[in-house]
Amino acid sequence: MSVIVASPVTGIVVGLEGVSDPVFASAMVGPGTAVDPAREPGEVCAPVSGVLRKLKPHAFIIVTGEGHGVLVHLGIDTVHLDGDGFTLLATEGDEVLAGAPIVSWDPGSVAARGFSPICPVIALDATDDLLANRFNAGAVDVGDPLFSWN
Amino acid sequence: MEPDSAAGAGGVPGAAKALAIIEGLGGAANILEIEPCITRLRTEVRDGTLVSEAALKSAGAHGVSRRGTIVQVIVGPEADVLAQDIEDQLG
Repeated sequence: MSVIVASPVTGIVVGLEGVSDPVFASAMVGPGTAVDPAREPGEVCAPVSGVLRKLKPHAFIIVTGEGHGVLVHLGIDTVHLDGDGFTLLATEGDEVLAGAPIVSWDPGSVAARGFSPICPVIALDATDDLLANRFNAGAVDVGDPLFSWN
Repeated sequence: MEPDSAAGAGGVPGAAKALAIIEGLGGAANILEIEPCITRLRTEVRDGTLVSEAALKSAGAHGVSRRGTIVQVIVGPEADVLAQDIEDQLG
């Protein structure tokens, strides 16, 4: 059964090639895409329903009932912000529904502090051929489909 | 999906994998710092030339990214558990 992976933020889809971190750009942890978020305070939401397997201020992983792990990274190298400016809205281990708010942040403030706020959305350990219906470029609202994972 | 062990795609058990990664980073004495991020180990080493990408990959790393003495070992979502296993080995 295929899983629809939705955009965790409102913004512009730029694809992984638009990400400055080579680990994401070369799909080293898996294929996917990336969204450049609108520069306004907002929430980063669950791209799929499942268990919130890992939650850090700057990144989280949700594992679906099918066992698919989806990683959302809030900006690039933002581990160095040590959580400053990120508020957790859920708890590791929670069962969450797609669209549930997970972290609130301000991408404009992240950018002002010298970090790219681009959000990679990664199908962990998937292969490129398993992803379909990709939305590769253009504006998305939070909850709009980015790709399906077969 | 419980991350009890860092045994990964390579099927190498956690402790053995931790040892193999320490080896790939040039040995325990070469490792100054190791910190897990969500999918990677961020490490700082004394001598970057002692780091073997081939050894790290055969230990199960998806890839390696380095800038001088800062070496990131991309291991996937088991990074936390693996970092703990490595800390245990380093003592």
